[in-house]
Amino acid sequence: MTADSGERPLGVFGYFVHEAVRRLWVYKRTSMVAIGMIAIALMTLGSFLLISENLNRAVDRWQGQSQITVFLTRDATPAQIDAARSFLTREPELSKFTFVSREAAYAKFRKHFTQLAPVLDDLDQNPFPPSFEVQLDEVKVNDPPFAKLVAGLRRVDGVDDVQLDWQWVSRLRRIASVLSLVGLIAGGVLAVAAAFTIANVIRLTMFLYREEIDIMRLVGATEATIRGPFLLEGIFQGMCGGVLAVALLYGLFRGVHALATGPASALLWEFLFSEFIPWPTALALIGGGVAAGFFGSWISVREAREEKAG
Amino acid sequence: MIDFYHVTKRFDRYSVALQDVSLHADKGEFVFLTGPSGAGKSTILKLILRQLLPTEGQIVVNGRNLATLKRSQLPMFRREIGMVFQDFKLIERMTVFENLSFVMTVLGVPPRDHKKKAYAVLRAVNLHHRLNAYPPQLSGGEQQRVAIARALINDPFLIIADEPTGNLDPDLSADVMQIFIEANLRGSTVLLATHDRELIRRTGRRVIYLEKGRLGEERAQQPAELPETPSTFMQWGSL
Repeated sequence: MTADSGERPLGVFGYFVHEAVRRLWVYKRTSMVAIGMIAIALMTLGSFLLISENLNRAVDRWQGQSQITVFLTRDATPAQIDAARSFLTREPELSKFTFVSREAAYAKFRKHFTQLAPVLDDLDQNPFPPSFEVQLDEVKVNDPPFAKLVAGLRRVDGVDDVQLDWQWVSRLRRIASVLSLVGLIAGGVLAVAAAFTIANVIRLTMFLYREEIDIMRLVGATEATIRGPFLLEGIFQGMCGGVLAVALLYGLFRGVHALATGPASALLWEFLFSEFIPWPTALALIGGGVAAGFFGSWISVREAREEKAG
Repeated sequence: MIDFYHVTKRFDRYSVALQDVSLHADKGEFVFLTGPSGAGKSTILKLILRQLLPTEGQIVVNGRNLATLKRSQLPMFRREIGMVFQDFKLIERMTVFENLSFVMTVLGVPPRDHKKKAYAVLRAVNLHHRLNAYPPQLSGGEQQRVAIARALINDPFLIIADEPTGNLDPDLSADVMQIFIEANLRGSTVLLATHDRELIRRTGRRVIYLEKGRLGEERAQQPAELPETPSTFMQWGSL
């Protein structure tokens, strides 16, 4: 004796998942609004993170927190180069240096800026001057004796410029931090708005299912059993929003990559879009979507307790 | 089994649903609750299910004082009660089987037992052939039988029914009443609210009469028209 029923019965968790997915499908338009809101919020945050992480990565690559670069004139003679070397050797604070010849500078640029290599090919001659890269034990930009030393270095015959690399490094780092902060604030505000959108979608669903909820309570379903599918529905919406945000962000990243064909775009690419966000960050974005979905649905289901027996 | 001690239920100062009601129903008893509309029948059922709490007095159901029942204990308490409504309260988007399976799921019945239990209980109400039908495809009487099957699925010690024949014609009402009688013969206590005097007369069980929230005269009717032969419902118990 077997009953010929269409579907296989479900356990409680299977019921949660089945109901949550079914409601997402049945109310797909409202669900899409919630998913879209989450995706916009996380994509905003992800965009800022993508740019700031790449900026930081670029800065790391040209690490110069305790470095100055002494550029010589392009036509510096060996005597002028020796004069500059002697000056550096004399000063204990500047004595850790490396000479970078014009050829070495050319090769270094080609290595670090592969996208710009065609520009170099169009030039008749090597545009890079010889230089000394001086490692400092500590950053002394505001130290007056050190400033005096740098001024003396600038006066050495054959020295064209002395760049204090850590100044722009610290500026870039500050920009990266500000970008991250702006992204977090904008993404956070949008994520809260998205969570409340999910809360309203879940509230609407619970209203539509109020009769089923009443039946469940009367047959002895626990609150966890009643609320589970709604919580899961919110979590699924958040997760879909997170996955969509990462997918769109990747599409944007690839789109910029495809468009970055000219030298000017290539420089932008090099700085801001060299690599996609690392996978832990991508997972964190999806996790953020899940958290927003859970928070939104939790707001709604906690309001939906059975009215206190009056 | 069910004891009301001087129960009063007021919704506000001017709206008194029950006034000093004391009543008792024994285990295994079949009791009609009757009276005109607004007499307080549904309020009594809601108090038993603890959808409401009394303003005054105490209610004890199956040895449990409902006033001291914690919110977390409510689901387990309600699982022991089968509830049948006048409007069936079936989920229309689900088949007959799914309506039953849905309840078994929330009650924690293992999925492997759903089909067996659903088939058995539907056979008891003679609807095993409509397992895959949706409620709108069923007649009123069939829908009410499904609703009763749902109430019986967890072998409740108490079945409470609120006007279960209110939407049915006399012949279908008799069929439905037969199922309640059989459930009662299997040991469930039945408390059935109705204002159908003919139904009460034909069934012949104890009657609790309510009027304007007060208890009226209790009348014991002669048992009548009990099933003469063991029915499919009796067989269900052996499954």
